[in-house]
Formats: sequence, structure tokens, C-alpha cells
Amino acid sequence: MSATSSVAATSATSTGAAKQHKQIGPKWLSNVLAKYIMAVTGVVFGIFVLVHMYGNLKVYTGAEHFNDYALFLRSLLMPLLPFEGFLWLFRLALLVCLIGHVYCGWLISARARARRGGHKRRGLKGFQSFTTRTMPVTGLVLLFFIIFHILDLTAGVGVAPEGFQHGNEAASYAYQNLIASFSRPLVSLFYLLAMVILFLHLAHGLYAAVSDFGVTMSQKVRSWVILLSGLFALIVMLGNISIPIAVFTGIIS
Amino acid sequence: MRLTIEVWRQDSPEVEGHLETHLVEGAQEEMSLLELIDYLNDQLVSAGREPIAYDSDCREGICGTCGITVNDQAHGPVANTPACRQHLRSFKDGAVLRLEPFRNGAFPVIRDLVVDRSAMDRILQAGGYVSVDAGTAADADSVQISHGRAEKALDFAACIGCGACISACPNGAANLFAGSLLNHLATLPQGAPERARRARAVIAELDESFGPCSVYGECAQVCPAGIPLSAIAAVNRERARAMIRGGKDD
Repeated sequence: MSATSSVAATSATSTGAAKQHKQIGPKWLSNVLAKYIMAVTGVVFGIFVLVHMYGNLKVYTGAEHFNDYALFLRSLLMPLLPFEGFLWLFRLALLVCLIGHVYCGWLISARARARRGGHKRRGLKGFQSFTTRTMPVTGLVLLFFIIFHILDLTAGVGVAPEGFQHGNEAASYAYQNLIASFSRPLVSLFYLLAMVILFLHLAHGLYAAVSDFGVTMSQKVRSWVILLSGLFALIVMLGNISIPIAVFTGIIS
Repeated sequence: MRLTIEVWRQDSPEVEGHLETHLVEGAQEEMSLLELIDYLNDQLVSAGREPIAYDSDCREGICGTCGITVNDQAHGPVANTPACRQHLRSFKDGAVLRLEPFRNGAFPVIRDLVVDRSAMDRILQAGGYVSVDAGTAADADSVQISHGRAEKALDFAACIGCGACISACPNGAANLFAGSLLNHLATLPQGAPERARRARAVIAELDESFGPCSVYGECAQVCPAGIPLSAIAAVNRERARAMIRGGKDD
């Protein structure tokens, strides 16, 4: 582009080469690759939270069925794998995804900050801009929640409710632990908040993932993708937050 | 109209810039933003002060030379309209207009509202061309393509290279600009043979100067050429396609 200044004060065309930025993260991890990693791992988490929510809803079928389901997850593919074998493989896969997702998320936001220069964009409006802008924040809250959630209901240490019962090969006490945990109002409240945050993160994340996979979206298809991403996130959120509410109102106890 | 203009003044890329406030009386609703600056400049020159430097050329929205940030919006308040086609009727009498240059880390301010957009030129140098000997003009239909394909290529070829999409991006990404380039040339038989090589070169250059895309969608709202947001997906798709094809160049 030839810049024709209307004022001949300076012949301001080709001077001032762009400042060289310092490389953030490894050079081989390009923005495109980082976004693909985020999209793939993000979709894995999206499917995971949906299935997780479906499993959670079994709490409404009673303590026995819910605990049986928990035991089933632990004994999945059992003769082939040892007790909890599948579960550990699954956890390992999720951990790898989590590390990739968090690292690339950090990388992308750090690079974005560096590249946009010293003048932050102001005056962004709308839900889409809000969810996009808050992705790093909602992501961090979710990361904190995941750690909390595992300590609370899986590991049964630290923030876990008093009287947490560890399961074994014969029995699971997932139901009792869940009730005990959600009987604490602050924990329920945090859970509620985390689910709203998950909704915001997922609503943008799923939509962005479709674009990141390189899908050319017409205006109409885009509207559908945004709607379906929001619906997916809404279903996960509503399904999950119904549980602490059910505990609080005494529907399940 | 009586307007308060807060305008970015910066003498050179090396020094810090600042906002300077001017009260403008007698501006007309039908003035464009650039005419408003001309009007203000007349007053500044009469008062023996330095006029505000800014870019402009055709003033009819086809060249892509002009570009300023008006109240945090690239080009101004009207969507998909270049600064030269934005008029004061979009503002209320007594409004405050904050005029800043296009903002991006790769767009150093040369003076006042003039930025150096050569980072975009480097993207064009990396892949904004086809390596065919053009010679004299070929017969119009010697290489036949469908109407839909021609229209699609033209939609993406509409980019005037103003840089508003990049300036509007909270991430400082240039995916709409680069994506429209990749889509345009990949769609046509003249550009298709170099598709993979072009994707690799353009996207490598993209990483050098610009940020990653987070699908804010701000870019397509300001694009004066109306490039659809679908262009941004072309960057990831074309790069993945080039990778899958390995060293082969289509």
C-alpha cells in the first residue's frame, strides 16, 4: 500500500520498519498448530463434560444405581485391564489434553497481547465478544475448579467433606460423598458459579473450534453453530447445577 | 455542528504520542471524517500550527488508503464503511470524536494518524501473486470456471488492504486479510497450482507480525469490502491442507 499523506509535512511512506517481536513459546508451535491443539483438546473436554453430566444425572435414580454406575466406570474393560485400569488410562489422556489446552491457551493469549501492541481494544460489545475476551479468565477458574473437584469428590482429601468414604473393588460411596459435599452451601455455590463459567467457556469454545478446524461457515451455518454451541453448553450447565439445587431443596438426600 | 475532536498527535515513530483536544465549530453534517480533519487542518494552519497528518487517496471507498480509529472503532461508527465514506451525520451535535491511528503492534505510527502498514505488504509478497507469465490478456473464457466459483473468488478478491480488520482485532490478528487472500487465489485455476506453497509462505509471514485468531468476529464488522467472516477459517484450513499434502505443491 502506498500511503499518501494528505499533508506534506513528512514523506511518510516506507520508513519505520515494524518492531521485531520476541518469540513467545517454541517457534515450531505456530499459531495455527496451537489453535488446532486447543480445538481438538477442547472438543474432547466438551464431549467429556457432556458424558460426565449424563452420568451425574443418574443421581436421580437413587443411591444404589448411582454407586453401581461409579463402580462400573472403575471396572470398565475389567478382565482385559486391572481394576481402575481403564479409568487411569482415561485420566492420563485427559491430563495430556489439559496440559496441551492450558499451555496453548496461555500461548495464544500471550501472543495476542504482544501482537496487538500497547493499545488494548476498548468498547467491545455483545455476548460473543464478552465470552471471547473472558476465555483466559474463565479457563483459569475452570482449572481451579477441576483441581478442587478432584480433591473434593475423587481423591477425598483436603476440601473433601467430613466423612468422605473411599470406594473399593466391591463398593462405591459416590452418592453419599456427593450429598455430603453439596450439603455445604459454600461448596454448592462455588459449583454453581463454576458451571456458569463452564457455560461461557464452552459456548464460545465449541463455536471457535469449528472455525479453527477450517470449516467455512456461511452466515446461516454460523448462526446454527453459535446456537448449537450455546445449547450444548446450556444443557451441560443446567444438568449439572440441578444436582446441588436438588440436594439443597431435599429432592435427593 | 459543534464537535470536540480529540486527535492523536505523534511526531515520529520514536516518540510518545498524546491526545490533543480541539473544539470545531461550523462542521457540516455532510462532511466526511476526512473532510472534518481537512476543516480542522485549515484552522490549524491559519493559526500557524502543524496540520494533522493522515492517509487518504480516492475518498470514494475503493483504494484502502485511509484508515483511522474513531471512538475505538476502526474507520468509524458505521459498519463496513471506510473512513472516507463515514459522515458527521452519524454523530450528534456536541459529540466528542476521539481520532486515533489504526492500532496494532505491527503498525508503527509514522506521524499523527499515519501508520506503517508494510507488515501487510510482506504478507502479499509472501503469497499474494500467481507465478504465471501473464503475457497479453488471454481470451476471456479460455479457462472455464463456474459462475459460483468466479463469484466466490471475486468476493474474497474484494479486499482493499486497508488494515481495518487487523486494527479492530483485539488479538492483533490478520486472519481476515490473509484468509481472503488465500481463499481468493485458491479458488481460481491460475492460483490453485501454488495453493500449498502459498499457504505455507503466507501463514509463516502471518506468524511473524500478527497475533492468533480467537474468532471475536470484530474484523468482518469493520471491513469496508464486506469480506465475510468465513475468510478467517481459510488460514487454518489451508495450512492443514498444506501439511497433509507434505512437500507436494499441488
